[in-house]
Amino acid sequence: MTPRAKTPRNSGQRGGHVLRRMRASTVYLLLSIGALVSIAPYLMTLNAAFKPQSTLLSTQAWTPAVPATWSNFTALWSQYDMSGFIVHTAVVAGTITLGQLVFTTFAAYAFARLDFPGREPLFWGFIAMMMVPQIVTLIPLFLIMSHLNLIDTYRALILPYVFGTPYGIFLVRQYFQTIPADLEAAARIDGAGTWTILRRIMIPLSKPILATLATITFVNTWNSLLWPLMATSSERDEVVTVGIAALQGQFASELHILLPAAAVALLPLVAIFLLFQRHIVRSIALTGLK
Amino acid sequence: MSANIAVTGAASRSRAARRNRRTRTTLEAYLLIAPSLFGFVAFLVAPVVIVFVLSLFSWNLIGSPQFVGLANYRRMFTDSQSWHALLNTAYYVVLNIPMQTVLALLLALALNRKMRGSKLFRVVFVLPWMAMPVALGVIWNWFFDPRSGIIDHVISLLGFTGPNWLTSTTWAMPVIASVNVWQYTGYTMLFLLAGLQAIPQQVYEAASLDGVNAVQRLFRITLPLLRPALFFVLVTNVIGSFQQFDTVFVMTQGGPGQSTTTMNYYIYQQAFQLFHAGYAATLSILLFAVILVVTFVQFRYFRKRTIYDFS
Repeated sequence: MTPRAKTPRNSGQRGGHVLRRMRASTVYLLLSIGALVSIAPYLMTLNAAFKPQSTLLSTQAWTPAVPATWSNFTALWSQYDMSGFIVHTAVVAGTITLGQLVFTTFAAYAFARLDFPGREPLFWGFIAMMMVPQIVTLIPLFLIMSHLNLIDTYRALILPYVFGTPYGIFLVRQYFQTIPADLEAAARIDGAGTWTILRRIMIPLSKPILATLATITFVNTWNSLLWPLMATSSERDEVVTVGIAALQGQFASELHILLPAAAVALLPLVAIFLLFQRHIVRSIALTGLK
Repeated sequence: MSANIAVTGAASRSRAARRNRRTRTTLEAYLLIAPSLFGFVAFLVAPVVIVFVLSLFSWNLIGSPQFVGLANYRRMFTDSQSWHALLNTAYYVVLNIPMQTVLALLLALALNRKMRGSKLFRVVFVLPWMAMPVALGVIWNWFFDPRSGIIDHVISLLGFTGPNWLTSTTWAMPVIASVNVWQYTGYTMLFLLAGLQAIPQQVYEAASLDGVNAVQRLFRITLPLLRPALFFVLVTNVIGSFQQFDTVFVMTQGGPGQSTTTMNYYIYQQAFQLFHAGYAATLSILLFAVILVVTFVQFRYFRKRTIYDFS
């Protein structure tokens, strides 16, 4: 009896094993296709940027750029002040990111930990404004900035976003609330003030969320087009997005100019991302948890 | 007697100290939120107030605004282009969200297991998220170019000829949507994966004891339990998609005809190309209202269902 009963179960297990192996390879195949699709545009753009103008149109996107040439980049730089665009963008994005980190930490701490009159209405006022689409604020911002005579300056780009966003404050406040209050109470008994607590306890324990905030802010600012398009108009403060949009308008079919420009615009963020990827991937998911 | 006095003295002193500490905390709190509060009021609350005021004015961005009453609103309701732009935006959202969410879900389900290379896959899938939409527009223009583009080349290898994607009123919008699907699928996947990983293993163990098959497991267990994460990505992605501008600006400038003119693009045109800034303000209020309604509907739909909480 026993041996007979054993046989079918064994074969069933073997069948299940094969099935599981097949399923695992299907999963790998699916994921690999996804991964390839995710990086192909980056690789093809970078590749095309190094192809000589003559072969850029005649060869396929996946044909490697051999021999590689810098001539497209030289042509691009001679036409356009790409270095200027990048410096302007880095200054704007860097200032906004730094400002948001500091001011958001301050506000999030007050909302998370300090008991003060007006806290709840103020906090919910911030939250309510998260729903406002950006475009709603932009025409009035243009009005405000032109009244202050700031149109076409760095300040017009920086001021509206440097003080933080409701979303950022919400994000960091939620994280601060998960830090045990006992730590802080103990420090207060030892005579630590708010400044010390922020510097010695809250900030060191909140590195993942602050890294997330910094990444999201920097990426969003680096990539943002609409407000810079409205608020700037001269080479003195134009950012990369506006520059590339202008290039596209001017050199619509000259890929040997456009593709290197796209590569130059994309790569700084990829480089930053690869440096911090471990933090970023883990912490992006944090932003979805309430 | 003297002990009594000492006690009341100490009590009033500590009450005063407490009041002092409260005042100090309040002062400190307002100092801490002062910069954010200033930015919030000056660059978010004030603009929202101004936009409603501006919608009652005619303004060419340079001169001083002229009061016109409700003329901009009357114009909005009779302007067929504004409805066209709204429909285009809705069409873009409908093309974009289901495809992106289903693909993200498939990837998340595939990654939700112990396997080699899962961290690497996650990093690679997030790479598109940070790409500059303007640069992507340039790259997609190249991909979909009828002469040198990779898409038409692949199609011709299969023995077909591609349509002129970006000059076709049928295909231009799906191409715009494909940029967005490429960009945000991996990012959306991360949230869904986090949601999947929050589902306790015991639920699946119990189900397998009851002889539940794979299809039932997906539709009866995984998806209902993933509802909070799905809700989050749907609400945020829908709000984002309603604001499409960059890709349209670089790839099609709203054309051919008006076929890819989204609300944001139409508002930009009205304000900065036609200098009807007051009318543009009115249109932005319409977009705001539409987003509010759509979000409200999503909240209603999702709240009707049970939410499972394992925390």
